[in-house]
Amino acid sequence: MTEKMKWSKLYLFFVFILLYTPIFYLILFSFNEGGTMNHFTGFTLEHYSTVLQDSRLIQIVVQTLLLALLSSLISSIIGTLGAIGIYYVKNVRTQEVLLNANNILLVSPDVIIGSSFLLLFTIVGFQLGFVSVLLAHIAFSIPIVVLMVLPSLEEINPSMLKAAEDLGANGFQILWHVILPNILPGILSGFFMAFTYSLDDFAVTFFVTGNGFTTLAVEIYSRARRGVSLEINALSALLFIASLLLVLGYYYLSIYSRRMKKVKRGVAE
Amino acid sequence: MTETIVTFEKVRKEYDESTVLKEVSFQLEKGKFYTLLGPSGCGKTTILNLIAGFTEATVGNVLIDGKKVNEIPAHKRKVNTVFQDYALFPHMNVFDNVAFGLRMKKTPKAEIKTKVEEALGMVRLKEFANRSIVGMSGGQKQRVAIARALVNEPEVLLLDEPLSALDLKLRTDMQYELSELQKRLGITFLFVTHDQEEALAMSDEIFVMQDGAIVQKGTPNDIYDEPLNRYVAEFIGESNIVEGHMVSDYRVAFAGYEFDCIDGGIPSSETIDVIIRPEDLEITSADKGKFVAKVDTQLFRGVHYEIILYDQEGNEWMVHSTKKAKEGSTVGIDFDGASIHVMRKNESEADFYKRLDTYTEILEG
Ligand SMILES: Nc1ncnc2c1ncn2[C@@H]1O[C@H](COP(=O)(O)OP(=O)(O)O)[C@@H](O)[C@H]1O
Ligand SMILES: [Mg+2]
Repeated sequence: MTEKMKWSKLYLFFVFILLYTPIFYLILFSFNEGGTMNHFTGFTLEHYSTVLQDSRLIQIVVQTLLLALLSSLISSIIGTLGAIGIYYVKNVRTQEVLLNANNILLVSPDVIIGSSFLLLFTIVGFQLGFVSVLLAHIAFSIPIVVLMVLPSLEEINPSMLKAAEDLGANGFQILWHVILPNILPGILSGFFMAFTYSLDDFAVTFFVTGNGFTTLAVEIYSRARRGVSLEINALSALLFIASLLLVLGYYYLSIYSRRMKKVKRGVAE
Repeated sequence: MTETIVTFEKVRKEYDESTVLKEVSFQLEKGKFYTLLGPSGCGKTTILNLIAGFTEATVGNVLIDGKKVNEIPAHKRKVNTVFQDYALFPHMNVFDNVAFGLRMKKTPKAEIKTKVEEALGMVRLKEFANRSIVGMSGGQKQRVAIARALVNEPEVLLLDEPLSALDLKLRTDMQYELSELQKRLGITFLFVTHDQEEALAMSDEIFVMQDGAIVQKGTPNDIYDEPLNRYVAEFIGESNIVEGHMVSDYRVAFAGYEFDCIDGGIPSSETIDVIIRPEDLEITSADKGKFVAKVDTQLFRGVHYEIILYDQEGNEWMVHSTKKAKEGSTVGIDFDGASIHVMRKNESEADFYKRLDTYTEILEG
């Protein structure tokens, strides 16, 4: 029993080391005075100040965030309506076909999605830039939202929808007053998922971005190709800390909302 | 002076290949308490769905207030439903749940407040207005569901097994409350249950269902005392049902003897079912009874003893008696001829009631 525990702990420890070592290595060298990734010669914050003074980089960060926000917002709306559409399809066969069509988009490689979008935009003569990237991001985010929203739709008690109709609610009122409030958690997680996917995306963006517009991922890639600069390490460290804070924030928020629910329940009893 | 509120005209309902309702016809009058009674799967919910508008009749017409409503969607019918699983909105508190119907109809705010408070008062939940639905007990949720339906002042309230999820004590309490509420409001209630005691206790009229058809309609007394056939008799309560045959009008043979009875209009020597309720039988000494039987087992049921006996033909008899019997002893069983009820096999409800009318009159006259 204790032997087993020891081994499983050791295994977990090893896995996490494997996962986090490159990141910590990267962060460590963001403080390197030496300017290369070879030897750690001394501590400095110089690279961080370069990042903060690099106005082009700051602008790209803002652009990337804006893109993520817009694309996840729009895809949340479209994806939610799509999920509701799939939910309401009466024929089980058709429903399965639609669902699988959705999942295929989800698992198909970014490279294929990116290149097909590039092809499409070129054929119709669409100018590559912010809008083309936005459209592509919306497109690959919709299946994610659909996938996140569907489970919370399935959880809705069908007789609750009957009850709403029975009480005089028309189709739109049922959607607005009953369905949406009940699937809000699903929509929110779909939104956050789409947001992170958009922030994350390199391949699709790389294909459809034009000369004028770029995102952080593409920018880091092109800088890394040009040669190692520890400025990128500093930027990555900042991003890592930001996502760490995001995860922590999300964790405490979920604990808080769970506690609020318990308090409510306590009052009711 | 009775007004019809709901009418079914030869309504059939089919799903794909299977027929769920076969030519059901009935009328509901204003202000009465009706019960659909039948085992699970016999089509009770389907009838409610047809009235509420959740499903459409394959053939036949559904009329509400004299108007054909086959094509009118559920949200436009002045009918409300109390669902078996309550179907409350978990994201709203008690007040908002009850106010839902009025809000959908864009009722003025002040009016909503008074009406909701009144409805909550009716189900004794006034202090609960701001509580969350989550964490309420089954009985409380049930009452919220009733208030939510009643606040819309429907002409018909449909209740689909609303008490089946409650424990026995609460169920009995709610039976009283519901029946009192119905009398006070004068709204037509159509109540669905598979529990015969519930049906007998609350209804003005009971429709007994079997396999997508209504087999017998009548008051609780009618159905208890004069069940149409073995199915209804067995469904509606504990009874002794034995096979026998008619000797002549008002003369029936079973358990190896002939007895006087009050049934007639049946060809002599036709094989029939005879039913006598356990509480109509009395145990006496072997020489005094109408026939003799041997005591097999007995159980103490609180109010009475439930005694099981076998007659000389091997028929099982159940007697409810306040006195104890001796197991293994041979006793006499006595009863009044009027407590015998004779049922023809495969008689239609119409023929049954016609025969009953004719022959009871002759006896009384
Ligand atoms: N949507 C449906 N599709 C197919 N069959 C159904 C549907 N709804 C009900 N049925 C069938 O109709 C029959 C009667 O159902 P129901 O009216 O719910 O019975 P009850 O309420 O008396 O238990 C059942 O055999 C059930 O399987
Ligand atoms: Mg049912």
